[in-house]
Amino acid sequence: MRLDHLGVVLRKEVADNLRDRRAVAMALLFPLLGPVLLAVTFSVVARQARSAEERPLTLPVAGADHAPHLVQFLRGAGADVVEAPADPEGAVRAGDRDLVLVVPPEFGARLREGRPAPVRLVIDESRQSAHAAVERARAMLSAWSRQTGALRLMARGVHPAAAEALALETVDLSTPESRAGLLLSMLPYFLVVAVFVGGMYVAIDTTAGERERQTLEPLLLHPVPRESVALAKVAATALFATLALAETIVGFGLVPAALPLERLGFSIRLDPGMLLRTFVLFLPLLLLASALQVLVAVRARGFKAAQASLSFLMLVPALPSAVLALVPFKLRPWMMLVPSFGEQQLVLRLVRGEPVAAGLQALSMGASALYALLLVAAAARLFRSERSMFGK
Amino acid sequence: MIQLRDLHKSFGPVRALAGVTFDVADGRITGLLGPNGAGKTTALRILYGVLDPDRGSATVDGVDLAASRLEAQRRLGVLPHSHGLYPRLTAREHLRYFGRLHGRGGPALEARIEELAALLDMGEFLDRRTDGFSQGQKLKVALGKALVHDPRNVVLDEPTSGLDVAGTRAVRALLRRLRDDGRCILFSTHVMQEVSALCDRVVVIARGQVVADGTPDDLRRATGRESLEDAFVAAIGSEEGLG
Repeated sequence: MRLDHLGVVLRKEVADNLRDRRAVAMALLFPLLGPVLLAVTFSVVARQARSAEERPLTLPVAGADHAPHLVQFLRGAGADVVEAPADPEGAVRAGDRDLVLVVPPEFGARLREGRPAPVRLVIDESRQSAHAAVERARAMLSAWSRQTGALRLMARGVHPAAAEALALETVDLSTPESRAGLLLSMLPYFLVVAVFVGGMYVAIDTTAGERERQTLEPLLLHPVPRESVALAKVAATALFATLALAETIVGFGLVPAALPLERLGFSIRLDPGMLLRTFVLFLPLLLLASALQVLVAVRARGFKAAQASLSFLMLVPALPSAVLALVPFKLRPWMMLVPSFGEQQLVLRLVRGEPVAAGLQALSMGASALYALLLVAAAARLFRSERSMFGK
Repeated sequence: MIQLRDLHKSFGPVRALAGVTFDVADGRITGLLGPNGAGKTTALRILYGVLDPDRGSATVDGVDLAASRLEAQRRLGVLPHSHGLYPRLTAREHLRYFGRLHGRGGPALEARIEELAALLDMGEFLDRRTDGFSQGQKLKVALGKALVHDPRNVVLDEPTSGLDVAGTRAVRALLRRLRDDGRCILFSTHVMQEVSALCDRVVVIARGQVVADGTPDDLRRATGRESLEDAFVAAIGSEEGLG
């Protein structure tokens, strides 16, 4: 393969596209989206967690007079018992209250008879922000229920433990890293998007754009091997994509440093070594994406058509991960052969603080590199073909 | 020195060239004349190496395009059919880019750019981005690109189309100067005045074949017509596509 003048074409494409506001915006602004979104998510989660822990539970109780002992217990457990609104269900539905405890008039009588005394907790299960308050109220109520029940058993000479058939103990294996990993699960896709979006305009501009401007024929009549032209265009695209990828990774690296995550029980170890490993992991995929974009764009009828095709192309790498996010699965080595999927799964494990075997990473990178080289060769071939260059 | 031998080219069912043969000599301006769709552009595209012929050969200074395309292209200066420019690059950057693609560079290339800017009167817009250039300015940049490596053979596809009178005269003067330097000049046109004003020799092509080849006087004599336009119509056998 002859590659004379590759540097001349590459330098021109880079200089030309650096003057294109759209190309620069795509490479520099778009990659900020992921880190910014992560920062916003974290601060929202942080604010909710803080307010749930620090604020006393405000518990509106309707019919508090019917259950003075219960109310006293709730106050003792830290709840701020307040007057309930006249229409408890309407107030919860409208979002004025997170929850309302309703004690019916027959509560006292049933309690004295030793039968289960009815109380109603009015909540909206679908309201995420009320979850913490509802859980705390439920815990308080069942604590009182257990305590009262135990007293009754003792009064009848039965050991309260007899009523407990199970000694349930939940062992939570989530680490601060894995809890953060849940929030970081969007990171892999943003990396893939960066790899595709960063060079998208360059891929279009240097192929379909060149054709539309009628500069393709003047370029190809010069004594430059077609392979040089094709490779220069892929390389220019890849350079812009590299910029976007690096920016995304650095951005994600800076977010945990800027937010007080440890206090919230999250730990994100996006240390430089791991970030660098992620960057290297994505490089073969980046070359694959650039070659694929040039291949698709050079066949497009014009700038607009190329734009539509490439926007669609960007969604494809999201599909396997999106489907498998709903189905639990175990990572197998063959999955590393699926480009973009392998990288996404590996980086997900990296950010969750799980060990990632070097062999798996090598397999994933090797597979993507192989596909990338095949696509580069296909692009070079396409530039040699008279029909794809000048066909109608 | 350019030689086209028995060029055949079809695009699907459309036969663009059906055996085109002619030579273009050094120190002469040769006009390739023909109605629209006669195959002029196809023949030139094969000559400058962006299309491959189905049959036949094209050589530049004896170098065969099929065998050594890059070597043949190095010997050609081309104003192609579509001469688009990069809107975000300046005129100077265009000349530099294409000069480098011809293997030139350094102070010699920069000096050549200054020389061309003077020759083509580009001084005032040399360092402006080409976005918004007039037709005439664009053509000057395209001509500069074609001449940046000082080629011995110059091929131009309809060089004066879209130009005003002053621009047309300037291009004609430039072509004469290149000829007087002993270069080999081939240009295509469908405009008759162009031929009578400029050409030492005319190759008339119609329906993918050469139908007449000689000086303008030869052409008039062979067809027995007084005006070149009548001679042309007689040669191609119809009035279709006359511009």
